[in-house]
Amino acid sequence: MLEIQNLNVRYGEFQALFDVSLRLSEGETVITVGPNGAGKSTLLKTISGLLTPRSGSITFLGKPIAGLPAHKIVRLGIAHVPEGGRLFPQLTVLENLKIGSYPKKARSEFAAGLKEIYHLFPILDERKKQMADTLSGGERQMLSIARGLMSRPKLILLDEPSSGLAPRVVSRVFEFVRHIKAKGYAILMVEQNVRKALQLSERAYFMESGRVRKEGTQQAFLEDPYIKKAYIGL
Amino acid sequence: MVELLLNAVVNGILLGGVLALLAFGMNLIFGVVKILHLAYGQCVMLGLYFIYTLVVPLGMPIILACLIVLPVMGLIGFLLQMLVINPLLKAKANPLTQLLALAGLTIVFENLAQVIWGADLRGINVQLPLIHFGNIFLRTSNLIAFLGALLTLLGLHLFLNRTYLGLAIRSAAQDLESTRLMGINPRAIYYFTMGAGGALTGLIAALFSPIYAVHPQFGGSFTMMAFIIVVLGGMGNIFGGFIGAFIIGIITSVSAVLTSTEIADIIALIIFIATILVRPQGLLGIKVSK
Amino acid sequence: MLRALILLILLAAIAIFPHLIPSPYLIHMGTLIFIWSFVTTSWSYMGRFGLVSLGHGAFLGLGAYTAGLLFNFYGLSPWIGMLLGGLIAVIFAVLIGYACFRFGVIGDYFALVTLALGEVVSLTIIAFRDITGGSLGFTLKSMGTSLLYFQSEKKIHFYYISLAFLILALLIWKWIDRSKMQKALRAIAEDEIAASTLGVGIIRYKMIITVISAFMTATGAVLYAQYITYLNPHTLSGVGPSLEIAFKAILGGMFSLWGPTVGTALIVSLEEYFRVMYGGTFVGFSQIIYGLALVLLIIFLPKGLYGSLQDFFSRKKPDWTQK
Repeated sequence: MLEIQNLNVRYGEFQALFDVSLRLSEGETVITVGPNGAGKSTLLKTISGLLTPRSGSITFLGKPIAGLPAHKIVRLGIAHVPEGGRLFPQLTVLENLKIGSYPKKARSEFAAGLKEIYHLFPILDERKKQMADTLSGGERQMLSIARGLMSRPKLILLDEPSSGLAPRVVSRVFEFVRHIKAKGYAILMVEQNVRKALQLSERAYFMESGRVRKEGTQQAFLEDPYIKKAYIGL
Repeated sequence: MVELLLNAVVNGILLGGVLALLAFGMNLIFGVVKILHLAYGQCVMLGLYFIYTLVVPLGMPIILACLIVLPVMGLIGFLLQMLVINPLLKAKANPLTQLLALAGLTIVFENLAQVIWGADLRGINVQLPLIHFGNIFLRTSNLIAFLGALLTLLGLHLFLNRTYLGLAIRSAAQDLESTRLMGINPRAIYYFTMGAGGALTGLIAALFSPIYAVHPQFGGSFTMMAFIIVVLGGMGNIFGGFIGAFIIGIITSVSAVLTSTEIADIIALIIFIATILVRPQGLLGIKVSK
Repeated sequence: MLRALILLILLAAIAIFPHLIPSPYLIHMGTLIFIWSFVTTSWSYMGRFGLVSLGHGAFLGLGAYTAGLLFNFYGLSPWIGMLLGGLIAVIFAVLIGYACFRFGVIGDYFALVTLALGEVVSLTIIAFRDITGGSLGFTLKSMGTSLLYFQSEKKIHFYYISLAFLILALLIWKWIDRSKMQKALRAIAEDEIAASTLGVGIIRYKMIITVISAFMTATGAVLYAQYITYLNPHTLSGVGPSLEIAFKAILGGMFSLWGPTVGTALIVSLEEYFRVMYGGTFVGFSQIIYGLALVLLIIFLPKGLYGSLQDFFSRKKPDWTQK
């Protein structure tokens, strides 16, 4: 479904990604882990079109998308939930969800999508008339993921969904991600909480200093001594 | 005396209605494009000149001229975005530079008006009847302008809150980057906003045309008025602009009757200065830490 | 040393010029350029440190009308009137400046406040039309050629007096540039919060530079009024002249010594050119060109014409500081 080859991305003079390659199939959940500054967020931003790569290719459902503007990529079926959620603070919960369904194809499914979200997440239904900036951290994260879903994507990019959240809330967020996975969405997730994230995913990539250092299945990563020590705390 | 004051208050309210439209346009542009459109009043002035030219030398019926001026001014708004605002944004100019550039634009517009139409007053000379309720006298033209303005504001409110595009615009005002991830093209939003803002100046000109005769300095005082209102209400805050418009409308109207038009303007300016000094976020704005 | 020599030669040329080419028209142009360069240079004392004022018309009006009215009504010598006018401008500047600086009003907000203030002064002048003549202005009583009453029937006197004023303004610019104050103001302009944590007396320095600028602008207005012997609130106060001063300085380059003068000379010449070429029909044409030029300039050359030229030439010199 998603094929990235030899991606090079720069911020001005600083190169953030070096020859990054990655693939993801339909319905798969893939995670990318690694230390801070490894370029994981940059990778997601390049896929979603917020950044333009210097070289390399990104193919989604057979179509090359590298360098396309972000709003076009959304319409093709990729939803990017950025780190921290980036909700619209002065819009209500309902309005945030509505704007998520902005792409024309998603508008006709707005009512249906809304029902699904409220079913999965009754708290959002309760708070639907509240301003987004009055929600708690966990609720905000759920809302931003829900908002991403409203665009009826085929692939969801999640950037550190657990960041800044208390452990109990993190569990709920991952529950949510599990539900989404069960519905058949393809997910590419960047996460610091490797243990929980690995439990959900089929495959994983380990990145460091802008390069992909390791690629493997869930099992391979769980057994890898380096990763176990550094990230899973065993 | 009481009647005089009452008349002043009523007329202030009528004026406030149209000023509210002016403030709306400015707030919309400030909210989305993040620019203080210092030449907004001058755009209204251009609209008035267009209407004048269509009606008087070219003999077009007034209603038709008023309808035509809307898309024309919308186009001018769009051109301003392309030719002035985009380069300013691209050059990453600070707010002061933007202010200066737009101030330069006001000079261009005012002198363009002077060159093309001369310094004399240009009006379309429409005589509409006077209505009175007891001892309160209203000009029909003012009443029409007021009702037109209110209707438009209602329509704009519905547009912003009930349609997808309106929602997109409100989102863009809050977090432009994130709108890209919603499938919204920020460039398109900019152009639309500037175009809509322009069309609004056309509408205001249409509403003003039976009331005022235009001259090259006409834009200046309305820009200043709009500024005062927008700052008072809180920049970018549409409801604040609405309230501010009526406050300023009534205060200036009453002051003008009690003292003189110059002193009324001075009072409005003092309110403006006081707002910036004491409460720069305006009545309804959110405080932004420096 | 070479620069000083060139300057002296230039000065001598300008001084002798009216005797070589006794054209009253050119002398008039020269005088206007000197007077307004004096004013725009004074403006730039504030402008170059980030205190961009769009309301210097207030100082113009306060200065000129104080001196002019005191002269017309009480026969007070305009020299004293100039000092008094300057004083009033200073008081005004102190009040407003303190209010702004105390409340931390900077940048574009500061510009807007000054803009409003310029208009307030202008409207006040117009409102008291019984005394000031309102929008129509008033004429100074003629005293022939008199040093005491600062009038002359020979334009050339004002040519030299204005030139002297301009030289004074340029010297003061240099003095400020070399002073400790300049460093403080530069720091404030770049990062006010950082500067304040270093103990720089922010309000004090801003006030000093504002007071100097206000006083000089006011005296420049009196000079102009005495030359033209006519005062009008639309040329000596309000938005129009305020913007013009700022723009002339910015066009030429408000960060440099000669920038404001260059900008003023260009604009005044341009306006005269259009007035002569196209007469009354195209009044305002020059303004359109200059407005457009300004917008383009502000976007593409933030340092103004002269400033950018300076940059361009200094780039050509080898940089001895590079290792």
